[in-house]
Amino acid sequence: MAWSWAIYLYLWMAGMAGGAFFAAFLAERFAGLNNNKLLKLSTYFGVPLAIIGVILLIVELGQPLRFWHLFTEFDAASPMSLGTWILLVWIVIAVVMVILWWAQNNILKGMSGTVGSLIKLLGWIELIFSVLVIAYTGVLLAVSGQPLWASTAFLPALFVASAVSTGVALLILTSSIGRSIPNRIIGRLAEADAIVIGIELLVLIGYVIWMAISGMMGAGDALSVLISGTLAVPFWLGVVLVAVLIPLGLEITNWGKDLERKGVWRAIMASSACVILGGLVLRAVMVVGGQL
Amino acid sequence: MPKARLIDTSKCTACRGCQIACKQWNNLKAEETKQTGTYENPPKMSAQTWIKVEFKERPGEWLFRAHTCMHCTEASCEKVCPTGAISHQGEIVVIDQEWCIGCGYCVQACPFHVPGKDEEEGTARKCRLCMDRITNGYETACAKTCPTGAIQFGERSTLIAAGKQRVQTLKSDYGYPNANLYGEDVLGGLHTLYVLTDEPSVYNLPEEPQLAVSNNVAQWVSGIITAGVVAALPFWLLFRRKNQIGIEEESEVGGTR
Repeated sequence: MAWSWAIYLYLWMAGMAGGAFFAAFLAERFAGLNNNKLLKLSTYFGVPLAIIGVILLIVELGQPLRFWHLFTEFDAASPMSLGTWILLVWIVIAVVMVILWWAQNNILKGMSGTVGSLIKLLGWIELIFSVLVIAYTGVLLAVSGQPLWASTAFLPALFVASAVSTGVALLILTSSIGRSIPNRIIGRLAEADAIVIGIELLVLIGYVIWMAISGMMGAGDALSVLISGTLAVPFWLGVVLVAVLIPLGLEITNWGKDLERKGVWRAIMASSACVILGGLVLRAVMVVGGQL
Repeated sequence: MPKARLIDTSKCTACRGCQIACKQWNNLKAEETKQTGTYENPPKMSAQTWIKVEFKERPGEWLFRAHTCMHCTEASCEKVCPTGAISHQGEIVVIDQEWCIGCGYCVQACPFHVPGKDEEEGTARKCRLCMDRITNGYETACAKTCPTGAIQFGERSTLIAAGKQRVQTLKSDYGYPNANLYGEDVLGGLHTLYVLTDEPSVYNLPEEPQLAVSNNVAQWVSGIITAGVVAALPFWLLFRRKNQIGIEEESEVGGTR
């Protein structure tokens, strides 16, 4: 198997990092919040996740010391080449934003306003790159000769939905550590997550149906690996139940409820943990299943 | 004039001489084998097995086909390679062993599942159409050793003509109504052509192999639309100012659990 655990860990981490930034930025911009608390959270956790993911990728190479060959080439037709550059830009912008946030209160205190607008501008650019990063994690697999990945155009959509969902879950879990984010916002994030998971479920159903009827050579066999074959247990338990149905149920039953109540708070945290764990199982099942 | 191989399944006896000749000429290691329920051996194509006779058993008949790199004109491996290590040298698709980083993308992209990633060498490896032999006027090792003439090497156009004639003979004289020549046009034209006695799918060959990057745009659009429109919607619904009951800045004093 040419791609193993390092690859699916990476796809999971990069998706979560990009998804968290995407969710945090949109929530703050739509709500008109200017303190960047969610956004900072998403970068403080997202940058290390993305960097660890990249290190895993390099370690997984047959010739790790030759990784720099990737940066001698820009080939938009090769998702891996394009993704290399997208990820590089994403990490650089995120790191610059972290540095600017720090500088805003220290060495550049005098020009805090200018720095603030610069951060805002970078935020918009980083939003676009977050979309590209999370789309890339699916496109990498979907542009291939493996029937499980390439027979439909649903895989990038599925990975994007999962990336946003795991990103929101990451925000919810980490914000509860620092307790810096008001419970009302966490509640709203959980509601947004419920809708995203609903979208993920629809995409998953679409993917399965399309695979079953597409008639592409090998698609039916590839699908049966997930539905009834070697990976049926992790697929039904890990993906369908843990990544989708359990968190969806928990978030819907606690929709609009006050997180001050311990039971509600616990349910939301448990659902977020399920989303993150299930997101990993989804990547693992797809990466391994496609190569069987 | 581009060269090619023509592999005639109706002449193959599955002696596996081509496998051995390939291993010897290219210094490829033997592989540990195991019983997989067929006489196929070794079980899979790999970085150390560049040609392999596939067995297809069906009532009253045993079909053999030597599977190897097709040297596609539109090669998926070359298109997805992120470092440019895979290129065409004339009609031959070659992996530069000094430049390959061993990312494994070509292994995933090949519609024929040909390249393998070598754990020891750390690079992707596959058939080179015996580049060192054919540039010196010899035929490939597999063709040279084939005792029945099932593997021929020569001018592509000549082999296509010969293949078509053989297909006609198989249809008219030997009772193979589905006989066909595989590889003349698919993926811009293959440089390993097959005379098949039955439909390509019977021989585990895709009827219409797709270039891996042919769905590139659709896949990117799928991901970007899902993120940019569909997944952005819930945040707009729940966080836009009109809707925010109590998420004003002043309320951000933190939860009191």
